[in-house]
Amino acid sequence: MSGESRILEGYVSLPYRWAMGETTTRFFDELKNKKIMGTKCNKCNRVLIPARSFCSHCFDRIDEWVEVGQEGVLRTWCAVNFSYEGQPKEPPYIIAIVDLDGADVGLPHFVGNVSLDDFEDAAKKVRIGGRVKAVWKEMREGNILDIDYFEPVG
Amino acid sequence: MAQAVAIIGTGQTECGKRYDVSYPELIYEAVTRAFDDCGLVPDDIEAVVSGSMPPAMEGVANPHLYWADAMGASGKPMIRTATCGSTGMSLAHTCFYHVASGLFDLVLVVGAEKMYEGDPQGTMATVADPFFQRPFLAGAPGIFSLQSNEWAHRYGLEEKRVRMAAAQLSVRNHTDAMLNPYAHIKVKTTVEEVLASRVVAYPVRILDVCPGSDGACALIMASERMVKKLGVKRPAWVRGVGYCGEEAFFGEGDKVAWPSAINAAKGAYKQAAISNPRKELDVAEVYNPFTFQEMLFYECFGFCDFGEACQLVEEGVVMKGGDLPCDPSGGTLCTNPIGATGLQRVAEVALQVTEKAGERQIPGAKTGLAHAMGGLDQFNGVMIISDSLQ
Amino acid sequence: MHITFDPGSLIAGNQHRNRLSNINHHLRCNMEQEVAIVDAVQTRHGSALKENIQEIMFNTVRELLDRVGIEKSEIGTMVSSSSDYWQGISCSNSYYYDAAGANLKSGSKAADDSGLGFNYGVMRVLSGHYKTVLVVSVTKCSEAPSVDTLTHMAADPFFQRPVGLNETVAAALQACEYSSRYGLKEEDLAGVPIKNLGNAQNNPNAHRRENLSLDDVLASPMMASPLREIDVPSTSDGACAILLATGEVAKDLTESPVFVRGLGWNVGNTFLGDRDLLNGPLPKAAQMAYRMAGVNDPLNEIDVAEICDTTSFNEILWTEQLGFCAPGKGIDFLKDGTTSMGGALPVNPSGGLFGANPYVARGLIRIAEIALQLKGEAGKRQVPHMKTGLAHSVHGLGGQLHSVVVLGS
Repeated sequence: MSGESRILEGYVSLPYRWAMGETTTRFFDELKNKKIMGTKCNKCNRVLIPARSFCSHCFDRIDEWVEVGQEGVLRTWCAVNFSYEGQPKEPPYIIAIVDLDGADVGLPHFVGNVSLDDFEDAAKKVRIGGRVKAVWKEMREGNILDIDYFEPVG
Repeated sequence: MAQAVAIIGTGQTECGKRYDVSYPELIYEAVTRAFDDCGLVPDDIEAVVSGSMPPAMEGVANPHLYWADAMGASGKPMIRTATCGSTGMSLAHTCFYHVASGLFDLVLVVGAEKMYEGDPQGTMATVADPFFQRPFLAGAPGIFSLQSNEWAHRYGLEEKRVRMAAAQLSVRNHTDAMLNPYAHIKVKTTVEEVLASRVVAYPVRILDVCPGSDGACALIMASERMVKKLGVKRPAWVRGVGYCGEEAFFGEGDKVAWPSAINAAKGAYKQAAISNPRKELDVAEVYNPFTFQEMLFYECFGFCDFGEACQLVEEGVVMKGGDLPCDPSGGTLCTNPIGATGLQRVAEVALQVTEKAGERQIPGAKTGLAHAMGGLDQFNGVMIISDSLQ
Repeated sequence: MHITFDPGSLIAGNQHRNRLSNINHHLRCNMEQEVAIVDAVQTRHGSALKENIQEIMFNTVRELLDRVGIEKSEIGTMVSSSSDYWQGISCSNSYYYDAAGANLKSGSKAADDSGLGFNYGVMRVLSGHYKTVLVVSVTKCSEAPSVDTLTHMAADPFFQRPVGLNETVAAALQACEYSSRYGLKEEDLAGVPIKNLGNAQNNPNAHRRENLSLDDVLASPMMASPLREIDVPSTSDGACAILLATGEVAKDLTESPVFVRGLGWNVGNTFLGDRDLLNGPLPKAAQMAYRMAGVNDPLNEIDVAEICDTTSFNEILWTEQLGFCAPGKGIDFLKDGTTSMGGALPVNPSGGLFGANPYVARGLIRIAEIALQLKGEAGKRQVPHMKTGLAHSVHGLGGQLHSVVVLGS
């Protein structure tokens, strides 16, 4: 069979309204105040960020709020150099998992203020184990991007 | 009493850009080949299982309902299982449990994807929750690169060495894919070309990562009593299944000494009574969309000690002719219709242990491991398949 | 051009081997060991719950574990049902996996219909691999586009989507055909929302409860003829968790295990025009469940039923297709009061979907409701002297995929 097979083009674009719950709402409110808050599970003693209302290891509710540091250590990172639909930034840009001081889980976020003209050069400044510090947006709206990025320090 | 389960037929489509067929037609192709393989017809099938990536990939919600006729499922019980990248393996498990439960003796399972109809990375980015992870966890390459970098750092592996081992894996997979009639990417490549190829998510290069493919895979599983009744000469027995999932939040778990991968393999090994995988496995089809991550899997599956996977590559252990050849099909690296990919790993091992793998046959293969991984490095599933139940 | 698949064309005749004649397999399969529901928990469903999906899942599972008195470490595996489109978070079970207590456990999914998740859970118990299986489902319809939009997306892009088919429209087409074959008067459908919203007043978990009159119903604007707005239950936020176990373990964990006597499920053709809209896959699904449960006379052997009243018309049609009454007799059956509280076979004492409709979770909720009935814990909506109950679930245009479970005490 060697007839034509055409393509039908279309778009599926759907709006959503996700409920945050009280804990996430408060976490974001604290971000507006330039504070990064976690919650601590008293059974396993982990401090979880972003703040959670339950610990899924111990499977219990938690409500002890703890502020964690604005600085931390890079657990891992990579420089994104490809495009996709709905991407938050024009590539190239750096994403990383940051282990903030005082937190027991890592936070995914951007690493910024590093030139990406040459990846090898960037890799000298952005290193696993290197320390980074949160840089806040001037205008904060109460979402995870109130932290603009983490920048390498020291 | 629980039934032993065997794979008695497989069917795969040629994978790649399949604009010549609609989504249901693609599935029909795999399903008819599976029936051809074992001489059965749709009326023989008692239940159907199907799955694929998130429906946003092809823009049709409830894909299982869309595919019903293409699978000959009308008039039968049907379930859709979907667990992101691990879908293909979860599908194999769901099908397995249909038969192992004793309720059904002949079950068809189909995994498929038409990635050229959608935006793969854009779709994958929607797996991350919208509150905390979505802006950052940039589709598959981002997540896997984060993981690979952490792995290399933890074991003090020099970047040059890791990249070289990764490039060798890339060459192995690309070379082997040339012999797989169903593979998507059939391109000869060299280590130099891999090392010099474009950066996708630094330090990972384009030849270290998989394509998105259109493709479908269908299997037929039978109970032990049905294998006898049909007189199936060479069933591929499912000796063990293992699956494990982790936290939704990427930063919460250890993705290097990776619990879901380690536990999935352990669970399957236990059921299959395998204590020394390196020795007792003849072949492994590891889910390998990323050369770097492939090495991590070797360690988590106990093919070597933690931190030693580069050595496996350098010493040729995981190449054809080595102790434990991996992904003789060319693997996910060369063919990745995600909803089908995990199921293709199962199909390929079934073909290997029944000596039906054609030019990609590993001589004397009797027992193999099939694997798939999904989510933000969240799920891992393993299946041990063998030519005998013992 | 319309594509048809002809399974008969697949194989040349002489490749057959041991022709099996498996077409009637659904009348032969059997459960080889006892499987029981230990306990079931639902949320107080709502039009928009303020907790997020993870929290709702955690709360529901936590409550279930507490009620049963076991730790999450004692759960063998978890099967969940959810929908990416309903969540706006793809690979939907990723998001709530550890919230459902499944961290470092095996788990799987039966997408889009939690009635199917239940069936899969039963199979995992029957396999002998697991003594306990947690089956869960959460849907927050308030967070997603409407059921009309999402089920419109479920139509194929070439033929059914461009003409605007979705579940409401398909149900209307179905109702219209029924009307032509058997007759359907304006007030015939009204009995369903009146009954169900009335029943919902006895259900603390339902969030829509009303004392509707016939006038109220007839005043509702036409939505897709012959269905009015009042005939189509709007959607909800809600969750459900059920603990399954082997019969032996269930008896240890609870004084009132609810046994799975039979289960069946079945799918129909994709294209509406390929099907007999008034005689779809439900009879086969029901037959499979009845056969397993040893039910020969559903009207007299089933004491109560919770069925997915996706529209008022569909409750009527499903009662016929479940074999409770003859085809074309569903309206009389309703009007007789047989399906009302106090009737011979009460249908939807919980209020059904009219009371609460968290789309994907609704099938499991039907099962939970029957379990509560059998345990004698259904409070004001309790049907007395219950021994056998039926729970039904469905999704897809015109009811493309149905699932039926028969439970007994």
